[in-house]
Amino acid sequence: MAIIRTFDLTKKFGEFTAVDHLNLSIEEGEIFGLLGPNGAGKTTTLLMLTTVIKPTEGTAYVGEYDITKEPDKARRLVGMAFQEPKLMWVMTPWDVLNWHAKVCGLSSSERKQRVKWALTELGLWEDRHKSVHTFSGGMRKRVEVAKILIQRPKIAIVDEPTTQIDIVGKHRIWNMIRALRDEGSTIILATNELYEADILSDRVAIMHRGKLLVCDSPKKLKDSIVGGDLIELVLEKEAAENTVEELKKIEKVVDVLAIKPNHLRIYLNHAEEVLPQITELFMKARLPIRSIRMSEPSLDDVFAHYTGLTIEEAEKQ
Amino acid sequence: MKLGGIAHLLEYDLRNFFRYKWWIAGMISMNLADLIVMAVVYTNMISPTVAGKYLSYFLFFSPGITITALFAAAFMIGREINREFRRSLSHYLLSLPFSRRELAFGRVLSGGVRGMVYMAPLLATTTFVTWFFTEKLPSPLEMLLVVFALFLVSIGTSGLSITIALSTKSFEKFVTARGVIYYVLFFCSSVFYPLDFIRQLGRDGTLPQPLVFIAEINPLSSGADITRSFLLGYPSFSPLMLLNVALFAAIFVLTATFAYLKIVQE
Ligand SMILES: Nc1ncnc2c1ncn2[C@@H]1O[C@H](COP(=O)(O)OP(=O)(O)O)[C@@H](O)[C@H]1O
Ligand SMILES: [Mg+2]
Repeated sequence: MAIIRTFDLTKKFGEFTAVDHLNLSIEEGEIFGLLGPNGAGKTTTLLMLTTVIKPTEGTAYVGEYDITKEPDKARRLVGMAFQEPKLMWVMTPWDVLNWHAKVCGLSSSERKQRVKWALTELGLWEDRHKSVHTFSGGMRKRVEVAKILIQRPKIAIVDEPTTQIDIVGKHRIWNMIRALRDEGSTIILATNELYEADILSDRVAIMHRGKLLVCDSPKKLKDSIVGGDLIELVLEKEAAENTVEELKKIEKVVDVLAIKPNHLRIYLNHAEEVLPQITELFMKARLPIRSIRMSEPSLDDVFAHYTGLTIEEAEKQ
Repeated sequence: MKLGGIAHLLEYDLRNFFRYKWWIAGMISMNLADLIVMAVVYTNMISPTVAGKYLSYFLFFSPGITITALFAAAFMIGREINREFRRSLSHYLLSLPFSRRELAFGRVLSGGVRGMVYMAPLLATTTFVTWFFTEKLPSPLEMLLVVFALFLVSIGTSGLSITIALSTKSFEKFVTARGVIYYVLFFCSSVFYPLDFIRQLGRDGTLPQPLVFIAEINPLSSGADITRSFLLGYPSFSPLMLLNVALFAAIFVLTATFAYLKIVQE
């Protein structure tokens, strides 16, 4: 069942359209990735869903509540960890998190237990009574994410939760986000990191310039690129012309390029299913294979497929 | 509006207030210096015909200092709210399960409570000092009235500062406006000199009439004079004084609440 549905959700800042007629449906219990380069409109979308800013046009339902008509009720279902940590510089993580938990209605025993757990897991326990202005960017970010992990809202929104965090910390936060989903929260994850979106999300929506490009599971998105998989073969001998022709006849093979007479590049779909057929073909032709390299398309290729740009290029624009 | 939500906002703002340790330490030493050094000096400088009714300038000045402290402490909330909006820290509060009205009114109330909390020790000192020299103590009901009047001044001040803080995104403009307001409200008031004396200067033509008028309607004058009337017995209490602070509170609590509601609806 969809727990969030947006209907032509639009936000303009003056003449500039940051979010442009967005139509999304997010299922209860999934991790929904919102992927796009900086400036794509991810944060603006999330701020509308948390009722922090109002849409210029269109609306969204959070649970059963229309965010433009019953924002107070919609807000109660949502918790957000912001991209820029929202911390008063004089506060300590201990106070920030305890107050947050209290406001979100946790009992004092739940609060004690969860605050301690989150601070410990995120490696902040030792520093819990230091004011956050002495903290590095990564530490502040961890305090911000901890708010949501403690709150366990029905809908947890995390906006670029692991920027500025080291790789060990990233994995820890990813695991905690998964655990939060397993506890019953629906997660919306905004990110411009391909890997993060890919490994964490059940479904990914790719945004560019305020618009939704495409939305599906990471696997289906990657498979949807015709000839997106790649197999590179290096042979012991030169391949005959008719071998190349026969390769091209295999179903799901899109194109074959002979870089050198003994070095072939095969563009195809579902490479893992087709590979046995390909090796068999070379065995029959008595052409020993020296090496095989296989690669899948990434979400970046999906993005490039729709925009003609890599995400990195799009961010430079 | 829910009481729980307002209580959480009060906790938030009070906690933040006590984190400004250096500001508080600085303010308290300034207030004490004002009270002791200036009052002692002025007591010997100021003509007994002016201060006479009050026994000494020191006793007159003490409630004045109390109310300037109240004003400065209650005014601080504006600086924080201005900063919150400039840095989008406000987004955090807006995402929490408060209704917009709870949030708006809660913040104005917080500012007022902070003023009262900061002022409490000074009011106690003033009451004690007055009792020490005059052996007069207000009745509990009178004291309650004083506290109530001061609370109205405090919450009105909080409203005033939030209104100004939200009418500009620039911190410089906020600081400038704050400076002007401090200057006008502190000096065109009965904080430093009795209202009778100011009126006299007006009649003599020494002080322009508009400034006399400001001093008369200034809530700091009314607040200080209500305190004096019950602690020192002079000037005599008039309901108009109370009406004046009530009006000040009503106007600025409303404008601040609406300004806050308007700015959060972006
Ligand atoms: N308050 C604002 N006023 C004007 N422009 C804004 C505001 N907030 C965001 N924008 C613009 O809207 C676009 C989308 O921003 P944002 O939603 O933050 O993107 P993302 O989170 O995908 O990086 C950007 O070009 C940004 O500059
Ligand atoms: Mg963003």
